Amino acid sequence: MDLDIRKRELVKEFSPMLTKSTLTSKIWIGILIAVIATGLLAFVLQVVKGHEVTGMRDNVVWGIYIINFIFFVCLSYSGAFISGILHFFKTPWKNAVSRIVEIITVLSLIVGPIFILLCIGRLDRLHYLFLYPRIQSPITWDIIAIMTDLVGCFIYLYLTFIPDFAILRDNSEDAPNWRKKLYRFLAIGYYDTETQRKTLHKLTRTMSAMVIALAIVAYSVLAWIFSLTLQPGWNSSIFAPYFIVAGLYSGIAVIIIAMYLIRKFYHLEHYIRKIHFTSAGIILLIVSMLYGYFTFSEYFSRWFSHKISDAHLLETLFGKYFWQFILANYVGVLLPVFILFFKKLRTIPLITFASVVAILGLWLNRYLIVVPTLETPYLPIQDTREEFVHYTATWIEWSLSFAGVAAFILFFILLMRLVPIIPMSGIIDYERDQDSKKHKVSTQN
Amino acid sequence: MKSKLFTYFTCTMLFGLLLSFGVQAQINLDDYKILYKFNTTKQVDNTRLLEVSFVARNNEDKTDILPLYGADIIFYNEGDSNDVKLGTVQTDQEGFARLVMPADYKYITDAEGYINLKARFKSTDALPSKSKSLAVKDLFLELVCEEIDSVKTVTLRAYALDSSMTKAPVEELDVIFSVGGMISRMPFREETLEDGEFEFEYEANVPGDKDGNFDLYAFIDDNDDFGTVLVSAKTNWGTFNKQVQAKKNTLWSDVAPIWMYVVLSILLLGVWANYVYSAFNLLKIRKEGKAIEDKK
Repeated sequence: MDLDIRKRELVKEFSPMLTKSTLTSKIWIGILIAVIATGLLAFVLQVVKGHEVTGMRDNVVWGIYIINFIFFVCLSYSGAFISGILHFFKTPWKNAVSRIVEIITVLSLIVGPIFILLCIGRLDRLHYLFLYPRIQSPITWDIIAIMTDLVGCFIYLYLTFIPDFAILRDNSEDAPNWRKKLYRFLAIGYYDTETQRKTLHKLTRTMSAMVIALAIVAYSVLAWIFSLTLQPGWNSSIFAPYFIVAGLYSGIAVIIIAMYLIRKFYHLEHYIRKIHFTSAGIILLIVSMLYGYFTFSEYFSRWFSHKISDAHLLETLFGKYFWQFILANYVGVLLPVFILFFKKLRTIPLITFASVVAILGLWLNRYLIVVPTLETPYLPIQDTREEFVHYTATWIEWSLSFAGVAAFILFFILLMRLVPIIPMSGIIDYERDQDSKKHKVSTQN
Repeated sequence: MKSKLFTYFTCTMLFGLLLSFGVQAQINLDDYKILYKFNTTKQVDNTRLLEVSFVARNNEDKTDILPLYGADIIFYNEGDSNDVKLGTVQTDQEGFARLVMPADYKYITDAEGYINLKARFKSTDALPSKSKSLAVKDLFLELVCEEIDSVKTVTLRAYALDSSMTKAPVEELDVIFSVGGMISRMPFREETLEDGEFEFEYEANVPGDKDGNFDLYAFIDDNDDFGTVLVSAKTNWGTFNKQVQAKKNTLWSDVAPIWMYVVLSILLLGVWANYVYSAFNLLKIRKEGKAIEDKK
């Protein structure tokens, strides 16, 4: 196999993804920018008028911002976890999904923490977190974990991008000058020599193991922010593994949705096949059953303990939040399990639909973890305003939430304009391995 | 609870009206016992407080007590031949009538040196007259707080003046020592003065105010001869400044357990060392690439 010719072929195949813009994509980008702009307007209003413009008050001090934060950060950790496993164990079908996962990991780790900043009433005192941290506080652990993880994920993402940057540098004669310069700079002189390849593989492998460990640690720390308090509904010993499983559940579901959209939009049926959806669907099935088991254990032990505070919380969940509870913990778990359990139902659209249901169910589950708990305080509250003990998100919070999702999608699209969503270096490595195997077999014969 | 408060308020108002205007109240007075108490306290500034408590207590429900306010109480210093009127005070909303006599007031005393005091309420259409008398001797207390050979020493001297104005030490006098608080005094020692003087080492651990100051009191409680007498002295023996000061939050404070630092440091060092190692290897790749580019 002539590597140079093959690389040129691959660049030719993927370059339309990088350079050409269709009308649909332009409209989509326009819509996303409009949503982000609305979010920015909402942000300015929130900064000028304060948290009064949100639904958060003295008792319910956290709202959908923290839910989005948990959701995105969990998405990132699960992305890192899955990506690490794909690389570390050299999964055969990793080429189809690895880049999607890596991009999801980094982008959600950038978007997620922005939501926690929106929760802070006095942003001008943000630096106090770094000047006067309490090392005993899980919030401090989370800051350290998120920053360390962010740096690790950036390095990891960059390591996996380097061979593709090198291929693009050497085969983008018709590309604009800025793009050529950018590829040259980012490829850092990688020429796929034996030594360079070995070094890069070693680094990627080490970092893939590292990000798995980091994801578990950071995940647990995020769960401890809640579970190390004495709040009913949060104080639980299984919260850390529960968050890990829930994160994996959302991560796999988002990957499936991204695979579906990218496959449809960029016509990558040749690379992202049904087998990829089926395999991801089976993993989603296993994780959804695990997630369902954890959810059941969590609520069952609370119900069985008959503690007054837990009983009040369950009354709220099965009263005021009845339908949300049913949608999050019954529909959000059982429907994906039902779809993915039967082989005949494992079609690409249905697997994607199951993923959408899983995502919505999980977001709602996060809402039920945060809001009803804060609405059910330990001490009975008298003579307080109704809005202080009941939470309803305002348009400011919703627009900022949608702006976060829009920013995530927009950055995803922009990154796909920089490097192909299917790693070319991965295809080359795979074909090279196949060739060497054939060569070995023929030599033995 | 609400209805009881309402009853209390209404009854009090009615009694007030009854006493002020002589209007017949709706309450049946036969159900109530009138309690009329009179006592005197010599205060820390040597002024004398004359106090009357005038209330009606329900015969069946002992907790149902109605203060009789607006009643005129006349205080007298009784003499052998005639009584000297000290003043007239109306009872307040809690049923108390209080008259404070100046420290330098010259009371009429009897042959044994007793001051005879009387508090009188003149009858109205609704209530009969009431009168109470008591006799007290003028007691002088001296409280001294000083450090003697680095020992915090409290000395209390008690004496009365005889007919020739000579100081006569008082014997067998029960006294309570206490420290002043925001709301009330906190007793810390009870003693009996044998020969007009008592001395002890102060050992109590009292914070005092921010400068360590507090008031120390000696208190004679309703003595048969002297009534209630109070004396105080200021001290700076408070231990406030010896309290442990709150530590500032710092990253490396010793508040967190040591294992937390150790585990966190090992984890962070391990991870960041790997980042540095990756960066170092990327530089090696770059160096090799540069060499290849130079050859070209």
